[in-house]
Amino acid sequence: MSQRVDPNLMKELESYGVKKKDWNACFHCGNCTAVCPLTEQGSMFPRKGIRSMQMGLKDKLAAGVEPWLCYYCGDCSDTCPRDANPGEMMMALRRWLTSVYDWTGLSGKLYRSKPLHLAVVSFLFFAVLAVFFIFAKIPLLSDPANVQLNSFAPVHVIELADHIMLAVLSFFLLSNMLNMFIKVVIKDKSVKIPIHLYFKEVWLAIWNFFTQWSFRKCEGKLYWFAHLFLMLSYMAMFSLIVLFLGWFQTDTIHPITHPQRWIGYIITAGLIFGSLYFMIGRARKKDRKFKFSHHSDWIWLFLLFMIAITGILIHIFRINGMAHLTYYTYALHLAFEVPMVVTFVAFSKWSHLVYRPLAIFFANLKKSTLALQKNR
Amino acid sequence: MEEARIGIYVCWCGSNIAKMVDVEAVAEEMGKLPNVVVAKNYKYMCSDPGQDLIVSDIKEHKLNRVVVAACSPRMHEMTFRKALENAGINPYLFEMANIREHVSWVHTDRDKATKKSKSLITAAINRVLYHDPLDKRSVDIDPATLVLGGGIAGLAAALEIAGSGKQVYLIERSGALGGYAAEIDLLAPYMNSAAQVLDPLIEQVQNHKNIEIFLESKVTDISGYVGNFDAKIEKKGKEVEKKIGNIVVATGLKNFDPAVIDRYGYGKLPNVVTAMEFEKMLKIGKVETKTGKLPKNVAIIHCVGSRNPDYHEYCSRICCMNALKFANQARSILPEANIFDLYTDMRAFAKGCEELYTQTSRKDVLFLKFEKGDLPTVKKAAAGDDCDMVIDMHEALSGEDIEVPADMVILMTGTEAHDDAKDVAHLVGVSMCGNDFFIEKHPKLDPVATTTDGVYIVGNCVSPKDIPDSVSQAKAAAARILASISQGSVEVEVTTAEVNEDICCGCQTCIKVCPYTAIGYDEEKNVSIVNEALCKGCGTCGSACPTGAIRSKHFTDVQILSQIEGLMSLEV
Repeated sequence: MSQRVDPNLMKELESYGVKKKDWNACFHCGNCTAVCPLTEQGSMFPRKGIRSMQMGLKDKLAAGVEPWLCYYCGDCSDTCPRDANPGEMMMALRRWLTSVYDWTGLSGKLYRSKPLHLAVVSFLFFAVLAVFFIFAKIPLLSDPANVQLNSFAPVHVIELADHIMLAVLSFFLLSNMLNMFIKVVIKDKSVKIPIHLYFKEVWLAIWNFFTQWSFRKCEGKLYWFAHLFLMLSYMAMFSLIVLFLGWFQTDTIHPITHPQRWIGYIITAGLIFGSLYFMIGRARKKDRKFKFSHHSDWIWLFLLFMIAITGILIHIFRINGMAHLTYYTYALHLAFEVPMVVTFVAFSKWSHLVYRPLAIFFANLKKSTLALQKNR
Repeated sequence: MEEARIGIYVCWCGSNIAKMVDVEAVAEEMGKLPNVVVAKNYKYMCSDPGQDLIVSDIKEHKLNRVVVAACSPRMHEMTFRKALENAGINPYLFEMANIREHVSWVHTDRDKATKKSKSLITAAINRVLYHDPLDKRSVDIDPATLVLGGGIAGLAAALEIAGSGKQVYLIERSGALGGYAAEIDLLAPYMNSAAQVLDPLIEQVQNHKNIEIFLESKVTDISGYVGNFDAKIEKKGKEVEKKIGNIVVATGLKNFDPAVIDRYGYGKLPNVVTAMEFEKMLKIGKVETKTGKLPKNVAIIHCVGSRNPDYHEYCSRICCMNALKFANQARSILPEANIFDLYTDMRAFAKGCEELYTQTSRKDVLFLKFEKGDLPTVKKAAAGDDCDMVIDMHEALSGEDIEVPADMVILMTGTEAHDDAKDVAHLVGVSMCGNDFFIEKHPKLDPVATTTDGVYIVGNCVSPKDIPDSVSQAKAAAARILASISQGSVEVEVTTAEVNEDICCGCQTCIKVCPYTAIGYDEEKNVSIVNEALCKGCGTCGSACPTGAIRSKHFTDVQILSQIEGLMSLEV
């Protein structure tokens, strides 16, 4: 079946960060693919993806996992003789793909409109503060030195809210993942993946998820470290506050050797280091991969950073017995955390946390299937 | 006859000859042959020191014959003849042995190649012994020039020649001057108006006192030779005769007819148009479909009739840039339309052309590449589709089978020879290549002259080219013609045929075989006579003559037989 060419896809992609100048500039010399440390036979990028973008082959783009295999080292953009920024086009494609997988359409709206994204984040921020303002009781006003966080925000209440949020977002994220699976695997009639391969390849996918191992082929070990450290820290924090809040949020102050303390410190260090690394990079714009920033990049980094900062402050205030400050900062902490989780995890930038390992999983499945067919 | 004193010179041609032929051994052995006074080898005989070597040897050793073993005589025979002339001996007392094209470049066995070189040189020595000194001849030049074709090349040539005060007769078979350029709106790559370029040129030609224009006319017959041609011109049924010294052929090419390519649907689908038809739309400022709608999708297809063994293998050279020009113009007229450029290779070689490509590529034109052997197909869109036509193609840069929506398809038709190119070639005595383009005397070193002296070919009739190239050729031909007019006379070939009237039996076989109509018949004497000004010395008559009455100077029987004898004298 031949596909209809549609140059008007450009207009859509522009709102996801593709520059018209770049779209026009690429004349397919293939330098980008040649220098890319991650591209390989069977999944060639970025040139081919750029071609599909230029030609507006929507279905082909939606079925491709290649953009997720890229970690954006920027080598392609550095060596592009036409200055077409192929790395950035891949980045924009990931944003577009996120919106393609999201059946609710919310993702596309957030990506395409900066005011809307800011409005949603602000609304959630103030909504959380309002909830605290209305419902939370500041305990023992007479004794500010005695911090009772669990009286201000009881673990079981927060945990319940966490679990509701987890259930709702998991529903959206999982359905988007399923959507991705349908688009990438089910609709691809050229490869029929045997069931046993799913079990074989899943371990590699998990390994990739926790190590971002293929990323290490790219230039810049610090970039890989910052990226991985930030991801693991956030994952750890997310697990702690959603699954182990009772253990994590205590009124007793543990000694510094207690795991609750040092795990918290490592996580905070990861968040601070990661978000600062990316924010400074994006602000300086010197490095190719940080030269262009979408509003989603900035909002995301800002929220991450604020979550970490408020986390640190809560801790300082709490161990120093500054009760009021602890409560207010705690409310702020949650006011930053909620919009982050609600808008980013299922509908925007954070969702690449699942799409990327999933893409590597699908790519490997297809590769193994083809290898099996070849050997037969 | 004085005693022959021969000088032999074996050239290395750098390593071209020396790597496959033992040039030193060859020179040494040739030096031992009778009559050979000196035998030398040298790195580059054609260089100034190489020629000086010959000149000084001729003077020092009183040489009266010279053999150079080097490249093809087509390359350097003239160079060495000149050297002989400089040394004060007749240039025809020279022979060349080709040990490069005939030996070193084509053989791989050094011993055998060396032996073959010796044979060829021995043959040359044997031949040069029988060379006669020949004298140069010249004929007067009539200062008038005939220009065939009133397109931009013909106009440029006519104006250049007339500007020097010489008479020009400009023949155009249509009713107007300007050729195809007159039908064009803008010119690539600078997008200037064709009319602004062409109109002043036409006006100057029309008002020039030295140019006589013959519209709706054709030349029916040309006789004579360089400097002294007679042309019969037929103008609207009336015949005029003109005497001219030189001829410029600028008859151009015509547009390829795309109806023969079925898959493009030209003639069947109303909105498939040729480049010239699109030019017309641009000229009248109305780019719309047959139903009067603005096209939402415009597709431009390159190489229509060009670069394809089924139609023409050559590249028509002008279409790529015209296509980009159309893309630009379409973009200005239809800012919202999708513009597709279906190409095989983008050929942007001339000045300003790569820039035009870069500039066009910034204007949201989608370039789609098809492979040369895998042409797109234009078909009517299905009912209910939002476009008029659909083009199926295999897109080479993505490897995908795609369909391109189109409301207007512009076929970038190439150019091809006029149907009557052969008649023109016959009229002026020039040869044609397989594509019916006229053949230059030398494609690189003498691109506007032909093998018929006094006949010059310029512009598209030689091969497809753009306006700057056509005008350059026209002016080059004009310069050549003006130079020969200012000389007053021109040297003609001396290695012509001559008739021994005592032996000639008057059978007229030679007249029938002569390709240059250089032989006439003397009814009174009952013998053939050679017009030396027309004779090219090709030797056809000599080999056809049953009585041996015709002798080709410089190719006499004794010269050729002794050459063969020399060739066979060594064992190879």
